[in-house]
Amino acid sequence: MISFGPASDALALWFAKQGVTESVASWLAVLIIVCVPTLCIVFPIAGIAQYFERKIAGYAQRRRGPMVGADGVVRLVIDLSLFWQPRWKRQKAQAFVQGLPLVKPLLAWIRKWGLGAIAADGVKMFLKEDMAPAGANRFLFRAATYLAMTGSYLAYVVVPFSQGFHIADYPVGALFLGAVTGLVAVSILQAGWSSNNKWSHFGGIRAVAMIVSYETPIALCVGAVVMWSGTMSLQGIVAAQYASGWCSFLGWNVFQTPLMLLLAGVYYIAGLAECNRVPFDLSEGESEIVGGFHTEYSGLRWGLFFIAEYADMMIVGALFATMFLGGYQSPIGEEWIVALPQPWEAIVHSCIMIAKFVGSVGFMMWIRWTLPRFRIDQVMKLAWTKLVPLALFGLFGLAVTQWLASNANGVTEIVHGRYVSAPVVPLGAIGVGLSWIVFGTVAVVLVVLARRYGEPRPIDPAVKDALVGSGTWKPVAPAGKDGAA
Amino acid sequence: MSIELDRDGDFITLSMGPHHPATHGVLRLVITTDGEIVTACKPDIGYLHRSIEKIAENLEWNQFAPYTDRVDYVCSMNSNHAWVLAAEALLATSSETKLVVPERAEYIRVIVAELNRISSHLVGVGSMSMDLGAFTPFIHALAQREVINDILEKACGARLTYNYMTIGGVACDLYQGAEDEIRSCLAELEKVMVNFNRLITTNSIFKGRLAGVAVVSPEDALSYGLVGPNLRGSGVDFDLRRDIPYGVYDRFDFNVPLGGAYAGSKGAVGDCYDRFVVRMLEILEAIKIIRQALDQMPPSAGKEDDPVGGWWLSKAAAKALRKPPVGEVYFRTENPRGETGYHIVSDGTKNPYRVKIRTGSFCAVSIFEKLVPGLMIADIVSVIGSFDIVLPEVDR
Amino acid sequence: MSPFLARNQRQGSALSLEKILEALHECHPETVIGTSPNGARWIQVTSFALLDVARLLKADPRLRFEQLCCLTGVDLQKFPATPERPACDDLVCAYDLHSLVNGHSLLLKVQVPRANPELPSVESVWGVASFFEREIFDLFGVVFKGHHDLRRLLLPPDWVGHPMRKDYVYPRSYGGVELCREGQTFESGPYT
Repeated sequence: MISFGPASDALALWFAKQGVTESVASWLAVLIIVCVPTLCIVFPIAGIAQYFERKIAGYAQRRRGPMVGADGVVRLVIDLSLFWQPRWKRQKAQAFVQGLPLVKPLLAWIRKWGLGAIAADGVKMFLKEDMAPAGANRFLFRAATYLAMTGSYLAYVVVPFSQGFHIADYPVGALFLGAVTGLVAVSILQAGWSSNNKWSHFGGIRAVAMIVSYETPIALCVGAVVMWSGTMSLQGIVAAQYASGWCSFLGWNVFQTPLMLLLAGVYYIAGLAECNRVPFDLSEGESEIVGGFHTEYSGLRWGLFFIAEYADMMIVGALFATMFLGGYQSPIGEEWIVALPQPWEAIVHSCIMIAKFVGSVGFMMWIRWTLPRFRIDQVMKLAWTKLVPLALFGLFGLAVTQWLASNANGVTEIVHGRYVSAPVVPLGAIGVGLSWIVFGTVAVVLVVLARRYGEPRPIDPAVKDALVGSGTWKPVAPAGKDGAA
Repeated sequence: MSIELDRDGDFITLSMGPHHPATHGVLRLVITTDGEIVTACKPDIGYLHRSIEKIAENLEWNQFAPYTDRVDYVCSMNSNHAWVLAAEALLATSSETKLVVPERAEYIRVIVAELNRISSHLVGVGSMSMDLGAFTPFIHALAQREVINDILEKACGARLTYNYMTIGGVACDLYQGAEDEIRSCLAELEKVMVNFNRLITTNSIFKGRLAGVAVVSPEDALSYGLVGPNLRGSGVDFDLRRDIPYGVYDRFDFNVPLGGAYAGSKGAVGDCYDRFVVRMLEILEAIKIIRQALDQMPPSAGKEDDPVGGWWLSKAAAKALRKPPVGEVYFRTENPRGETGYHIVSDGTKNPYRVKIRTGSFCAVSIFEKLVPGLMIADIVSVIGSFDIVLPEVDR
Repeated sequence: MSPFLARNQRQGSALSLEKILEALHECHPETVIGTSPNGARWIQVTSFALLDVARLLKADPRLRFEQLCCLTGVDLQKFPATPERPACDDLVCAYDLHSLVNGHSLLLKVQVPRANPELPSVESVWGVASFFEREIFDLFGVVFKGHHDLRRLLLPPDWVGHPMRKDYVYPRSYGGVELCREGQTFESGPYT
């Protein structure tokens, strides 16, 4: 017998009434309650994310991106539902439908923004042939995709969208996340090896090396935030960033000390690596290893990897928002939202949370279309010689700061899942000032040293002058006569 | 070539290509790797071999000109230019068959050849950026190349394989308004190049990928027949347009960019980054040359007194090509990919006896076996891109 | 270091063909100057002296031919007889050399009999010769002794014949694929 809340209980009861045995009914109910909403939410969101990715790509490349209209959808629906009618009747029906008062502007709007690309991409994935290469280990080949999806989706269980509005809030939420996101590495290695293809093998090996290496800075950053907030529960971390008044963004973690800013940066970069996004997409690096671990996957199987990648990106964005940007709290005052009646509070909080992690994900997409790719040895060097020392520095620095300001009265009074009655004062004023001075100086010194001795040095000034000139950057209008694609 | 594609102890033997996104064509590299580090590399070419040289022996002199476009279709004006100059050099060895190319035709040849050099370099640097993971610069470069393609399409009717130059001149004059369009294209190109360079050339990830990778010493570069930007990237100051000038190139004032360890402390003279920067600087130099050519070009004299040698082939050229002198000549021109040399043997008939096309990419592939071992797999992609290899040149 | 250099001067001095021949005659007195009716002149060497001459041409400071620009194979079977050269069916390898330092060019030719076309490989002198010689082996059948890996370059490894020879007969099929239609022949050339 397993239960997942009142909804799954009711569903299990209904199954039992139909004659299913009780234990099976309860498992079935939990499966449906957990999987169906997740899939129904995540698939369309992945489609929308893909659409935004292509649009951002288009605008970065001075063109308009996909401009697919949806008139074909209307025609498809009519042709399928009225297939027995002669063609002229179907055309008349199509013209009628397209002329209806709401449909026409809707289709025009879709055509203007090219939103049909969402449907096109989705349908494309379903229509491609599903095959496995000869000699591949069939079971592992298929299971790799399922494992990747599992790893990505399980992480959504602990993400808080509002007070009390989460699937589960474990007291060890941060630890749970670290454990679950490690499944991605296993799944990529499995995909690479079971494809019976040397290039995929390379992709899998690279991915494992990279993901496992970047889990260290992530764990250090998460540990630092946990230490700062005093709790591993994600709702608790959000609650620790509460600040009253109209400037409630000052309670967010990034604004507490410059070290938090550093840790946020380290977490974001390491999160990019976890998602296999450019500049760390060398495990699927198309121009080197032809597709890496997903070379042999096509159709919906590839689609599942792809959705898992977007889900991973959104998890990284959501965690970034939760740990550093105050979670679902608004930047301009939190009390008036808390005072709203329940569905409205959840909706407003969820919108804020979604806005924050959509911003993070959009920034990841922007980075993708700007930067080239690293090489595996550079990736490893970055992780172990740059990010880990920075994260350790941040961790110890935060510990010192916290010790200096040990009279902070918010740290020990977090109550699980609820705000404290007294507003949290992050630090004593002395602690804040000291930390900004000391660690700010250290950061400046480090940056100066890195620019002098880091690699590679700036380009020869004569060549730089010839290449980029000495003026300020000016955007150039798109090429061609009409500026279109 | 049959090899054992199996694990051999701790080494993996892989076949990179001929179907591969980054080999710039159908190039096959059989690499043996120890993890990510390559221990042996054997190039396997010939997938695009079209026996162009054998075909030349059955065609008349000017009928062969479209085939020369396909020797390097990315910069086919320059390939065309090489062929017509070589044939004219052969005809010039005898006073009866010597052809006088009208001056305006010479200037038009230079203008279109340099425009094609720009578009070829745009393709080269753009696809190299794409191979390294930056997709955006490729699109920017190709957008500018489209403008150049439009100009050349209006001039001769084709977008890629132009067949514009004939032995004795060019096929037809430039269209009305060509000069203004070319000038505005160049002005826009300069602005776009500044943005392009800010985006990718000065990007530290890009420099880190290319700094110190595949360093070619000047002696090796000369010995292995590297030419053009590949040779100049190793610091050897040699440009055929300046040192052995042909056409009207001796009337222009332009600089020849050399490699100079631009990637900073981790770079070396002759690494991939140097070759990349040399190509970027050559685009700017080509813009200079085109501007000077547009300024110096004599005006068109109108239809009655056609200054460019007539439609397709002038009478003098047709007469000379029916009985060219017996003998041989070797003529070299500066292709964007290096040097295109035509070694022509003529037996006095209307078909050439032997045409040997020497291309820069062919020699660049010959250095792979020596250069690639010791690099990582990700570096092979940088190497292929930095040598700017196109397979039609390699295989002919 | 500025990447731009003005038109520079070469340190060495260009030699005429006679002076180059003089420099070669010190060690190889059998080299001669060959000419063709259109005025092209070259240095003709024998096949057994080729490698030595090549080393000399690259190393001698007066000569310093660092660049092997082009290595051409020519089949003389259908070449018309000229006063300088009677009709023969030898194979010729023509080496186009250029010196950057001195600024002179040279055409070097070697003639080998058709029945036994063997030449020493100059791969140790100019590295690019490895590919050029493989191509000539592939298309003409000249065997270069001392080459580290002499096999076909452009054609598939199981191809029969050397296509650039003038007496080459196009195969009627390859790998099970018929290459010409019924009643069609390739003897007169594919375009007539």
